[in-house]
Amino acid sequence: MIDSVLTGFPILSLVLWLPFLGTLLCLLMRHSAVACRWLALLTTLSVLLVAVGLFVGLPAEAGWLLSEDYTWIPSFGIRYSLALDGISLLLICLTAVLQVAAVLISWKQKEHPALFYALVLVLETGIIGVFLATDLILFYLFWELMLIPMLFLIGVWGHENRVYAALKFFFFTLAGSLCLLLAIISLYLIHGEQTGVYSFAFETLKQTQLSSGVEMLLYLGFVLAFVVKVPLFPFHTWLPDAHTEAPAAGSVDLAGLLLKTGIYGLIRFAFPLFPHAAQQSLPFLVVLALIGIFYAAWIAYAQTDIKRVVAYSSVAHMGFVILGLAAWNQLAWEGALLLMVNHGVTTGGLFILIAMLQERTGSRDLRLLGGMWKSLPFFSAFFLLFCLASLGLPGLSNFAGEILVLLGTFGRWPLFAALAAAGVIFSAAYMLRVVQGTLWGPLGQVCKLGDKGCQHEDLGRREWLLIIPLALLVIWLGLYPTPVLEPMRGPISLMLQAGGLP
Amino acid sequence: MSVFELQSLLPQIILALGATAILMFGAWFPSRKWILGGVFVSLLAGLSAGLIAPAVPEVANLYSVGSYARFFVMLWSLLGALSLLLSLRYAEIHDLPGSEYAALVLFAICGMGLLSSATSLIGLFLGLEAFTLVFYILIAFKRDDSRGAEAGLKYLVMGAVATGFLAFGISLIYAASGSFHLPESFAGLQQAGGMRALGLVGWAMMLVAIGFKVSLAPFHLWTPDVYQGAPAPVTGLLATGSKGAVFASLIPLFGALGPLKAELNQILWVLAALSMLAGTFAALPQRNLKRMLAYSSVVHMGYLMISLLVGGPEAHRALVFYLIAYTIATLGAFGVLSSFSGVDDEPQEYADFRGLGYLHPRRSTVLAACLLSLAGIPPLVGFFAKFGIIAAALRGGYPGLAVIAILAALASLYYYLAPIVVLFMQERDARELRRGCRHEYFVLALCFAAILLLGIYPTPLLDLLAGVVP
Repeated sequence: MIDSVLTGFPILSLVLWLPFLGTLLCLLMRHSAVACRWLALLTTLSVLLVAVGLFVGLPAEAGWLLSEDYTWIPSFGIRYSLALDGISLLLICLTAVLQVAAVLISWKQKEHPALFYALVLVLETGIIGVFLATDLILFYLFWELMLIPMLFLIGVWGHENRVYAALKFFFFTLAGSLCLLLAIISLYLIHGEQTGVYSFAFETLKQTQLSSGVEMLLYLGFVLAFVVKVPLFPFHTWLPDAHTEAPAAGSVDLAGLLLKTGIYGLIRFAFPLFPHAAQQSLPFLVVLALIGIFYAAWIAYAQTDIKRVVAYSSVAHMGFVILGLAAWNQLAWEGALLLMVNHGVTTGGLFILIAMLQERTGSRDLRLLGGMWKSLPFFSAFFLLFCLASLGLPGLSNFAGEILVLLGTFGRWPLFAALAAAGVIFSAAYMLRVVQGTLWGPLGQVCKLGDKGCQHEDLGRREWLLIIPLALLVIWLGLYPTPVLEPMRGPISLMLQAGGLP
Repeated sequence: MSVFELQSLLPQIILALGATAILMFGAWFPSRKWILGGVFVSLLAGLSAGLIAPAVPEVANLYSVGSYARFFVMLWSLLGALSLLLSLRYAEIHDLPGSEYAALVLFAICGMGLLSSATSLIGLFLGLEAFTLVFYILIAFKRDDSRGAEAGLKYLVMGAVATGFLAFGISLIYAASGSFHLPESFAGLQQAGGMRALGLVGWAMMLVAIGFKVSLAPFHLWTPDVYQGAPAPVTGLLATGSKGAVFASLIPLFGALGPLKAELNQILWVLAALSMLAGTFAALPQRNLKRMLAYSSVVHMGYLMISLLVGGPEAHRALVFYLIAYTIATLGAFGVLSSFSGVDDEPQEYADFRGLGYLHPRRSTVLAACLLSLAGIPPLVGFFAKFGIIAAALRGGYPGLAVIAILAALASLYYYLAPIVVLFMQERDARELRRGCRHEYFVLALCFAAILLLGIYPTPLLDLLAGVVP
């Protein structure tokens, strides 16, 4: 029944443009902060509703589940074409969940609330668009559309060093994007000269015949844009600054969603368009991923700002994801994509908890915090849960992804898999240091200096509402990830076949 | 000149007679309302260009009245009307004489239209001089402003030198070929194995003159001072129309050159690359919005040179599209500047803009959108403009220029974001409102809508250009 409803109705456009509609309404009602935040919440909730509806209603098959295609700019051969498969469906669900969380965590936004919620909603349109577009220019448009709202979110509502962090983020990603644009246009022209058909459609461009040198060059253009966003070592230096300076919603979106767009770009566009070059690049990706895992863990251990620790842990986790992709088999890819979703939930949750902590104590410094369990028991329990999930405790979400990645990688590169397994221990080291420095030990200086007896209020109603679903997700994804693995199984095997299995 | 030719030249006649009438009646009844009269005349000329079909294809072997020429006459008429609307309050607070101002702008528009439709080298010269002369006056229109006087003088000296080069170049080409009319005058330059030496020297001189007029590096040094000194609405017109009209005339000029253009390709390559690089490096350290826009315009002229170098219908369409995108965004930016200007100050330094983003959110948003469109950020119209140019460069076999263009676009973000950062990301204590007026808001809303709508759905404009651009 749901199929018959969906075929006629442009549901993908609905999911895509619903947040944008919310943006416009927010800007219209900019004089009332209350109206804006309820509007933002309603919009994100309705996106979530549609996304979950699709998740439940659509069959777990390979290939495109839904698609839309309209003429847009015929003189350039650009079409408005959207398509959804299992992987994009999962990522859209993740986006919808985290955007609701992002709105809820910034519920008390005081400075320019209308603009803030408007930007968060535009960002959602950009991210969903990236996950849906199959025309390369349309993809590029959404890819860039994510940049401007993020620039403003960090630059206007960020912490002390915000302008520097915002510009650094912007330039790193833009430099990569422009390489991508150059590569896209080159591919379009090469294909046009070969066949006489000038088109940016992904399926059409996949047929292009490329000499190995040109293929490698174009592949590098694509990969550069995506690995900067992932970020893979050594392109990660923008990430700690951006995460640290961004407001809570910005950090949640950055870690939970923007990093995923990079991975998604790799598997959706870079690998299938240039399969031979992709195969040649795998060893380099593995080495960079491994360096990233250890280097990030090492740096994370030396940080005193909790946000920076979590930021570097993201680099390490993304190293695992890239490692899984480079292993190039079904198991590792399933693990990598699962880890990607899990990382979104755990890191998003951690940033939300850090924001709550900072709201209460005014500090994120491990040297000043401590002994929070005494004053904030409920908060501390959740904080511990998310930290344990992040370090890969079996039974919680990240473990499921990591173990699949390691198993898959072991089949191809036993040595690298063994090395990467050691990386899990490293992540335990820095995450436990965060737990120890925040929750346990004697009362920190923040408490001694500030309020009498360090009386902070524990979780409020809104915060319970926010954190419970995320905690349930963490446990569910750790214990029973099958519903998430199922829809991605078919698309992954299609992608691996199309890319040419070794 | 027959009646038919006069009828075909109707838009220009409306502009010239309208300007004269405003000038004369303005002497008896001085009022700033004459600027609105100028808007009316300008729109009337644009409408007549669009609606009344010309009786003959070419006027006096000087000017074409084909669809290409009429398209540009309409474009510049619209630009003139919008510039005049932007000048209304500016003229009021700076006590500028309204009728003279309106008449001069109309004369300038007339010259731009003539230049864009030139089919002979004489027509080109006349059109170019017609509006350059007007700009000498307009730039120094605030008589008691020393900066304006300096700018006017600078533009005069540079412009006179350029005029000399242009006249000399044209006369050399005439000496070599024996004709001023476009295809013939260049056909005469052909000889076995390439262009005649006399023709090459003539072209070199013409390129120098063109370089001065559109401020290509290394002939761009007058640009920042003139931009800074001129009144903001005049700078807007200077930055858009005067450069655009020259480029509009260059498309048929290079088209008429045919295969001989290969002789000039190296020079054009160097001009394009040098303009992009020099403009970028000079724009990076600027802390004055007008000077930054001046140097960034040099970069944009470099982009336009790329598609001129590539040639062919697609590249030319990309050029005109880019020109329109650049015109809208630049007009919008200078529109915001004039709308922010007060009785005795015109905000230019970045420090003047601190925190204005939340004090005047709408106008600041327009300024930000204009700057981001100039930088080529989607979904604004500048993105598809840059896209067209880069695609043309790659298609024409100039990957080097495409890479320089991409790098320049990346660097341009630095100087285009700087004012946006100042507007929105820095707080300000002093809260003095800078009131604008309805007319300005109308123009700015129009620019903003055009930037956004053409960025999301450029198909109508592309279709139009496909029919108009040869």
